Amino acid sequence: MIKEDVYCKKLKCGLDVYLILKKGYKKKFAIYATRYGSIDSEFIVPGENTPTKVPDGIAHFLEHKLFEKEYGNVFDKFAEFGASANAYTSYTHTAYLFSCTDNFEENLELLIDFVQEPYFTEESIEKEKGIIEQELKMYSDDPNWQVFLNLLKAMYKAHPVRNDIGGTVDSIKYINAETLYKCYNTFYHPENMVLLAIGDFNPEKIFNQIENNFNSREYKPQGEITRIYPQEQDEINKNLIEEKLSVAEPLFFMGFKDRNVGFGGEKLFRKEITTRILLDMVLGRSSNLYKELYEDGLIDDRFQIDYDGRKNYGYCVLGGPTQDPYTLHKRILEAIGKTKNILNEDTFERIKKKMVGNYIRGLNSQEFISSVFVSYYFSDIDVFRYLDVLEKITFRDTLYRFEDLIDPNYHSCSIIMPE
Amino acid sequence: MGKIILEKIINGSLKIAKEEILLENNFVKRQLNNGIKIFAQPTKKYTTTTVKVFIHQDLEDDIVTKTSLLPFVLKRGCMRFPSEQKMRVYLEELYGTGFGVDIIKKGERHILVFEMDIVNEKFLPDKNNILKDGLSLLRDIILDPFIENGGFSKDYMNQEKDILKREIMSLFNNKMQYAVERCFQEMCRDERYSLYKYGKIEKLGEIDEKNLYEYYLDLVNSNPIDIYIMGDIDLDKDLSIIEEIFDFSRGKVKSIKPTFVNKEVTEERVFFERQKVEQGKLSLGLRTYTTYSDPDYYPFLMANGILGGGPHSKLFQNVREKASLAYYVFSRIEKTKGLMLITSGIEVDNYEKALNIIKKQIDDLKSGNITDYEIDSTRKMLINAFKEASDNPSLVISLYLDGYINNREESIEDMIRQIQTVNKEEIIKVSQKLKLDTIYFLTNKEVGKAGKQ
Repeated sequence: MIKEDVYCKKLKCGLDVYLILKKGYKKKFAIYATRYGSIDSEFIVPGENTPTKVPDGIAHFLEHKLFEKEYGNVFDKFAEFGASANAYTSYTHTAYLFSCTDNFEENLELLIDFVQEPYFTEESIEKEKGIIEQELKMYSDDPNWQVFLNLLKAMYKAHPVRNDIGGTVDSIKYINAETLYKCYNTFYHPENMVLLAIGDFNPEKIFNQIENNFNSREYKPQGEITRIYPQEQDEINKNLIEEKLSVAEPLFFMGFKDRNVGFGGEKLFRKEITTRILLDMVLGRSSNLYKELYEDGLIDDRFQIDYDGRKNYGYCVLGGPTQDPYTLHKRILEAIGKTKNILNEDTFERIKKKMVGNYIRGLNSQEFISSVFVSYYFSDIDVFRYLDVLEKITFRDTLYRFEDLIDPNYHSCSIIMPE
Repeated sequence: MGKIILEKIINGSLKIAKEEILLENNFVKRQLNNGIKIFAQPTKKYTTTTVKVFIHQDLEDDIVTKTSLLPFVLKRGCMRFPSEQKMRVYLEELYGTGFGVDIIKKGERHILVFEMDIVNEKFLPDKNNILKDGLSLLRDIILDPFIENGGFSKDYMNQEKDILKREIMSLFNNKMQYAVERCFQEMCRDERYSLYKYGKIEKLGEIDEKNLYEYYLDLVNSNPIDIYIMGDIDLDKDLSIIEEIFDFSRGKVKSIKPTFVNKEVTEERVFFERQKVEQGKLSLGLRTYTTYSDPDYYPFLMANGILGGGPHSKLFQNVREKASLAYYVFSRIEKTKGLMLITSGIEVDNYEKALNIIKKQIDDLKSGNITDYEIDSTRKMLINAFKEASDNPSLVISLYLDGYINNREESIEDMIRQIQTVNKEEIIKVSQKLKLDTIYFLTNKEVGKAGKQ
């Protein structure tokens, strides 16, 4: 239903541009993102022979610094045009975005201009370190983030997904203008990026505007960036990481490490959706296990299940606040051992139905569409094929996936206990 | 589109009048014989229909915990689906209809929230009636709860008491929010507003399945109930479903007590609290003497935006950008109680430095040391935020509810019109009413001479 409203085009400079029409919406939204996240800390610059290694947290640092220009701060310019701007860095990508109701074309021009024109000075870099240090400390005081970070550290021995996206107070000290420019020049070439706009506008006009902006910059083809990731074994790093923090009740997360990785595209999409159906069948709100754990006071509505699947890593996470993390862990493991035999086709069909509804609901939110779109784009997935891919998944697929992923030998736990 | 024109011809002028309301982008209001109010806004924008039911109650010490517990006990089951699991299975059958309950606090008013988000049938492959099915379930959850032996299920209630207790305790886990809540608690210590929206752990013991049920019956019988619905609905067909299923007899509807606003500040009070945190959390509580029901509310909204409402604001520019003291710093307002809160995460040793910069920004605002850029950017930001809100049904409902409880029922267009005409003098004048009441600092150091407690 939304498919016919999506327009896309590859520009001469190599940039993919997507426009989505949302008739009747007042809000217009654009997001400009690069396939460059916190895990890309070692790479070979196109044209060079030797690898470059940069400090942890530099992608996030760069995201902050791109907002600073010789004329001042880009936020101020967006404010003048009545837009609200933002940016975020994930493990795999960095995105810059704004939303507005007026002056869309001016804001769009500003978005492209500020991301394509870096301005880093040693002085402003030093000042930013104070701000980012406070951002990192804010997260250190957040037990929900810490329990998740510890889980990734427990599951992964070598893969950089085990490191905090923002780096550490120590690692960011080594960031300077030279390394920022090097990362910028490597990863902010249009070939490595995508631009998406959503709203009620004239797509042809917007395409022309974007094309004119990029044509004036005369980009030369860049070539392949070689990204170097350490070899990660199937085995988990540790069974458990336990930490004491200033909390009122314990937090418990457990994760199963996905060993069936190394591919993107529709194969990954299918794997991800299958996994989500499976997890919902096993521990979703309507499952027997959820009911039992809830009634026994081990979990409540803050309990989450999630799966993150990327080209070269993947894991599922279950958990939340609990009175007794050890019993909860034991109960989940025991139940999962027996679960495979009680999964049934009726539940499978019902969960699928729910996922159709959730997808249609998601189309209401421009933020949701754009963040999901960008994230999938960098895994070479066309998110608008969701309903087609979902349709083709069978009950049998979820059983295979169970075997594949839910193996107690490949799971880790993370626990935060009160001091 | 074609469908509307056809109906217009059949139903004549009545339908045209309704479409005009639709263009105004406002709610159509109806009232049932039992006093329940319905607010409906038909729109083709969304893929789902959003329904929210609000039951209003006074925020009072002796009932706050019962009120908080109620929605969570109710969501556990109704006579038709006597367990939450059975209810969840049914919701999944209805294409994953979203359902949730919550408890919110607006001024000194406590509100039970029941919400449902139902996918519009026109997007679904098979013909069905999920809007009606969803509404009927919502009705059953609120009006036909699972009852045994003349009360709620003892098991359900005890489980939910236990979860509520942990929910209250877990505020401690979120240091940012904790520092905000504690600041308001100290500031409003003698006012009803200091009650936490989830109630008090020590009151849970007094509640049993029988007295909670009696309290619930009383609430449903005599408290104000509103039903909001937004989506691609038909004002005749779909509203009559609501009118039919919520048409039960009940008593005289009681009115909710007004929120106490004009508290005098005699001295600035400072509180330090020590916990093992990496980052100090500083909160400042101010009295604004300006609520949404006051004529100078929009100038005040502008003043707040200039002070701490975004990256262009005085606080962001001076505490973060110029002094590099913080990652987050902002101000926000409680528009029913007339409070302002400023909060920031800083290095504990920078307490004095940050506090001085923040105070300087408040003084600059009051003395009119405001640039045209700050005013223009704030105005644009607010107008943009209101316009964007109109794309989000939950926000539209929340804004309208704020107006409803402050006796100022406005459409989003009305809000924008009023923001457009605010001038600098009005902003300065309303800012001068601001009074710093309480400073709260969550620190990891030994509490020094500056602190009480």
